Amino acid sequence: MKLTRRNFIASVVGGAVGIQITPLPWKFTDDVAIWTQNWPWVPVPPSGEFSEVSSVCTLCPGGCGISVRKVEERAVKIEGRTDYPVNPGGICPLGMGGLQLLYDESLRFTGPMKRVGMRGSGEFQRITWREALDIAGARIAALRKEGRPEAVAAVDGNGEGTTASLLIQRLMQAVGSPNYVRPASLSDTYRMGNILMQGRDAPIAYDLENSDLIVSFGCGLLEGWGAPGRVLNAWGMWHEGNPAKRKVKIVQVESRASNTASKADYWVAAKPGTEGALALGLAHVIIRSGRYDAGFLAEHAFGFDDWQSRDGVVHTGFKTLVLKNYAPEQVSRITGVRPDAIVKLAGMFMDAKSPIAIYGKGKNELNGSLYEFMAVQSLNALAGRINRVGGVLLPDPLPLNPLPHFECDEIAAKGLEKPRLDRAGTKAYPFSHSLIHKFAEAINGSRKSPIDTLLVFSANPAFTLPDGGAFETALKKIPFVISFSPYRDETANMADLILPDCVYLEKVDDIIWPVGLQYPLYGLSKPVVDPIYDTRNCGDTIINLSKAIGKSVGAAFPWKHFTDVLKERAKGLYDAGGGLVRFNPAAPPWVAKGAGSKTGFKSFDDMWKKLEAGGMWYRPAEQQRDWSWLFKTPSGKFEFYSQRIEQAIRSGSTKEMRITVQGDEACMAHYEAPAQDPDRTAYPLTLFPYEMINLASGWIPSPPFLYKTIFDTQLLKDTSFAAIHPGTAGQYGLKQGDLVSVESPAGAVKVRVDLFEGAMPGRVYMPLGFGHTGYDEFLKGKGANPNAIVRAGEDPVSGYPVWWTTPVKLVKA
Amino acid sequence: MKKENDNGKPRHRYGMVIDLDKCTGCGTCMIACAAENNVSVRPDQSDKERAITWMRLYKITNGKEFPDTEVSYFPRPCMHCDHHPPCVSVCVATATKLDFNTGIVSQIYTRCIGCRYCQAACPYGARYFNWWDAYFPKDKGLDRYLSPEVSPRMRGVVEKCTFCHHRLMRAKEQAYAEGRREIEEHEYQTACTEACPVQAITFGDLNNPDHKVSKLVKHPFTFRLLERLGTEPKVYYYSSRDWVRKLGDNFLPGEYKPVLHKTWMQEEWSTKPGRDTY
Amino acid sequence: MKNRANPSERPSQSEGASSRAGFFPKWLNINVAVQDVGFFLVGLIAALIVGWVVFPAVLYSKQTQPMNFNHRLHVSPDIGIDGETREERCAYCHEFRDDGTFAGIPKLDKCTECHDDPESPLGDTPQEKEFLERYVSGGKEIPWLIYSRQPDCVYFSHIAHVNMGELSCDTCHGDFADNEKLPVYQENRLTGYSINIWGKRISGIYGDKKPADRMKMDDCAECHTKMGQEQNNSCFVCHK
Repeated sequence: MKLTRRNFIASVVGGAVGIQITPLPWKFTDDVAIWTQNWPWVPVPPSGEFSEVSSVCTLCPGGCGISVRKVEERAVKIEGRTDYPVNPGGICPLGMGGLQLLYDESLRFTGPMKRVGMRGSGEFQRITWREALDIAGARIAALRKEGRPEAVAAVDGNGEGTTASLLIQRLMQAVGSPNYVRPASLSDTYRMGNILMQGRDAPIAYDLENSDLIVSFGCGLLEGWGAPGRVLNAWGMWHEGNPAKRKVKIVQVESRASNTASKADYWVAAKPGTEGALALGLAHVIIRSGRYDAGFLAEHAFGFDDWQSRDGVVHTGFKTLVLKNYAPEQVSRITGVRPDAIVKLAGMFMDAKSPIAIYGKGKNELNGSLYEFMAVQSLNALAGRINRVGGVLLPDPLPLNPLPHFECDEIAAKGLEKPRLDRAGTKAYPFSHSLIHKFAEAINGSRKSPIDTLLVFSANPAFTLPDGGAFETALKKIPFVISFSPYRDETANMADLILPDCVYLEKVDDIIWPVGLQYPLYGLSKPVVDPIYDTRNCGDTIINLSKAIGKSVGAAFPWKHFTDVLKERAKGLYDAGGGLVRFNPAAPPWVAKGAGSKTGFKSFDDMWKKLEAGGMWYRPAEQQRDWSWLFKTPSGKFEFYSQRIEQAIRSGSTKEMRITVQGDEACMAHYEAPAQDPDRTAYPLTLFPYEMINLASGWIPSPPFLYKTIFDTQLLKDTSFAAIHPGTAGQYGLKQGDLVSVESPAGAVKVRVDLFEGAMPGRVYMPLGFGHTGYDEFLKGKGANPNAIVRAGEDPVSGYPVWWTTPVKLVKA
Repeated sequence: MKKENDNGKPRHRYGMVIDLDKCTGCGTCMIACAAENNVSVRPDQSDKERAITWMRLYKITNGKEFPDTEVSYFPRPCMHCDHHPPCVSVCVATATKLDFNTGIVSQIYTRCIGCRYCQAACPYGARYFNWWDAYFPKDKGLDRYLSPEVSPRMRGVVEKCTFCHHRLMRAKEQAYAEGRREIEEHEYQTACTEACPVQAITFGDLNNPDHKVSKLVKHPFTFRLLERLGTEPKVYYYSSRDWVRKLGDNFLPGEYKPVLHKTWMQEEWSTKPGRDTY
Repeated sequence: MKNRANPSERPSQSEGASSRAGFFPKWLNINVAVQDVGFFLVGLIAALIVGWVVFPAVLYSKQTQPMNFNHRLHVSPDIGIDGETREERCAYCHEFRDDGTFAGIPKLDKCTECHDDPESPLGDTPQEKEFLERYVSGGKEIPWLIYSRQPDCVYFSHIAHVNMGELSCDTCHGDFADNEKLPVYQENRLTGYSINIWGKRISGIYGDKKPADRMKMDDCAECHTKMGQEQNNSCFVCHK
């Protein structure tokens, strides 16, 4: 029998029929359908046992309590802790997206590295920790041997007073370099003002929760000021219940209809940099009406009325100054706020039961102006709102142990005698501890960089400083840069050696008194997951590095681990007695006596265990009862007239300190008009860089999640927007979405125009946080960084950059 | 509204009230939602038609001149319409249904054929199509934070807010482990509700008179988006500001009736109809 | 249609056909028809073999578990595992966590509760030795293959069925507790699912009596309906 065509067809037909009565076609179809539902590249997250780990978020100095949900060893979600006093419940968007900072590998350094590519290219090669520490140690040791330890410098972005920050300062001392610099933040302005007016070297403590009228002079309450979790929680509290019967009113003084300005009960649109003048305007109305706190002024204030000094000279008092210079009409001319509005606002301030005036400039990441702070604080004093519930409290600093004293060796002692490169603490800048823009200026101004090796900790000055790119230029000149950043940021990309820190969820770290909180709180974070890469806690690295530099430097670090240092400092909390390590939501720390005084621990070890578990030690807010030691000023009182400034002027000069007024006025809060640029005709507009709560503008990168919340009128593809008043835009013939170049004497950036009625005419508002050249595809090349074109003046006395008055022009692209 | 299902068992009707006076536009809800529900982030999120945001924040302004300008925000999850949800009516694959027992509008990704009819039908723009595969490149390791409680989606299907339905499952399991059949109000809360740092979102069972939401929805300041379409959204908004409420629907000139409320009319300090300015 | 391929054989065919003229009509070429049927059957049978034997063999990969586990031994009351009933003894290892989630296949921790060192009660087969050396002392989890893992889009609550629905384990999993040897794990090469999900019967037809190892959506729904729990057939009860 041969296989004919016919037979073949018969068998095919047979096969075709036969296959129908087998499972093949049916099961195959079904399986293919299922197969298309399970592409191998669609991830299937493995399941397992769920657990929650409580810790503290250290992404900003706000220090919110976080609870991380884990599946086996993986962290899958961050949530706010309801059992933490700072933020009972919520956290900010940055904290919410934190897992991407942990798990986005291309955002991070996975181990110690040395540079192989061009500087800034971000090309590195993995080395071992031993090698890395040897390179760094040998370099610093060599400089010490040469007798120029001052050629080592450190930029430290860790929170003021944190243990990591103390270790870095100690390392610089042990090495023998005075060049320890920190980027200026609002906390520095607060601290300086606090010392000058109240004689207290402590953070500012605004008792917002107990106030019924909050007049915010530029504080971005909803933009991430202070501890965002705390402010937002308070915001929710204030808006609870019937809107008509709300007890708390919020007034926002700001030039732009920001979220805070829009959501506040009143918005006062004062020109940027004139907030202090407005505060003095309110003071004028209050003084004139006589409804100030005469008792407080008589007993606890100095320099309100005219006074006579020991040498018989009669000095002008705050009262005379304000009555003379800050009448509503005068203030109106400065601020652009209508005189009747100033009178009305002052009336509100007088009528309120417990008003508070708070000072700020957006978030806390950038500094403020000293005289502006003094003006706002003077207003508080005038109304007797100092050391009062619902006002400005004066709690004692955290009783943490100082690090033990150590002896510098000879090389270090010599090095420490050398002047600081940034001239902080000199006659020109008597009260500043560090001035990072002057540091960059000094390097850029010399032919050869006086700094040989720069260590960068928790900071990204090449991106975050409002200096028109000066620091980046300086970085290029410095022969050797060591970065301790866990992220591939702009500064790290310029580095020659990377000793990567762990990401915040992998490490133990501390928070010293969240900014603006009215009670002292010590926060302690713990590792939520084990380090997923070959990175080490920066505190441990510093200890190891000190040993790598040499014996005498290493001797200053008698600890094995960073936790030993933390524990040693925390011992002071225990020795001071009192304090709470647990939070009872029913008795929050801002309710006087609500939280009780039972500490809940028996021994230091017990306290430490509970501190590690709960992540907090705090003392509930209260008024100080004993006024006699409260103000550690020369007069022992609250000083409207700061005698410390007087002394500084006497040993230097007002000109050196960039104060434009003469005489007694210079020692009191007053308005300083910004130095007028001669080229205002060429640059008729003013740039105001603004901050947003949903975009990180500091050294921490924005988790990619944040870009979901950015509107397409803020970022479109790779171009960010500048918000401009439609009237101003009209003068340039600009429409919504037009590409435009914003040019200042310091440079130019390309942006699109966003017409926004809530923008003050004549201003250009650019968001901070865009325009990265580091990191990965999520952040790189997105938008423009206004810092690149800021040309900052210097704040009188403090010397911090005045970053809010850059003259710019718009050129249609 | 019917309170029992066909078996005569009590029916839940989960819903949400969002207080727009409290909402500060911080965006934490959007991020909490994306993180909770394994929504991937692509390098470009500025194409808002294609970037997936189950919870999306809309920015509105009162349109007034400087310095009377005021900005407000509308967080918009899926409305979980209770009456013939338009998306459900049009779905050709029965991939989306109104779950009668919970009032949640479900979305089954493995069933969805990606025709996007539902997306076109939804009056709120709450549905998103996966134009690309979820962005979790293997070498980046971003897939390590994915939650096993929510199934990641593939290219070509539509997704949307589920009122964190898996959290209901989680709460139920916990209740079962403790021998209970019913869950408490606080046990089932969506991720956005829990995350909101100003507590602007209230979530609960609209059929349960003890739940906060069922009291809040009765307030005269409470309204819904495009209410007159008759889809009975279960997401309510609350605002004391007239101009905000007015933007909740398309009104003809003169058609909108401001809410007159005695208490605040008499208060000198009242916050409406719009913030006082100088 | 006529078969013109073999004209030479035609006469004999027509003869045969004529001899059975009473049965078949003249126009039917019986020989050709027989051949047709023959080839048809060849194709048919081949297809059946492919469909019923080859296809399942090819479709499923066979993998053995990393080591054997004797369920029958462990579940027996005399070995000392806590639990009055067999269900309780199952749940000793396959436990519910405090949050109500089901732990599934136990982790090594569970094994080392009893088998923590070489002195612990254990046989002396090479596998048991390996268990101690490789996993227990190495602290390595045993990479068990899971027979009844549902697809990622499925949400299944064990506690709802076991504690609330009072179903016993073997209703769905079969009499696993009687196994002395772990069955071979068969994975569908196309879908990646275990054979226990779609069911061991390749036909997918079970009639009234279903083997317990079939766990497809329709099976869940059918049982829900039978138990008067139709409301649990809505999508968002079992899908995530």
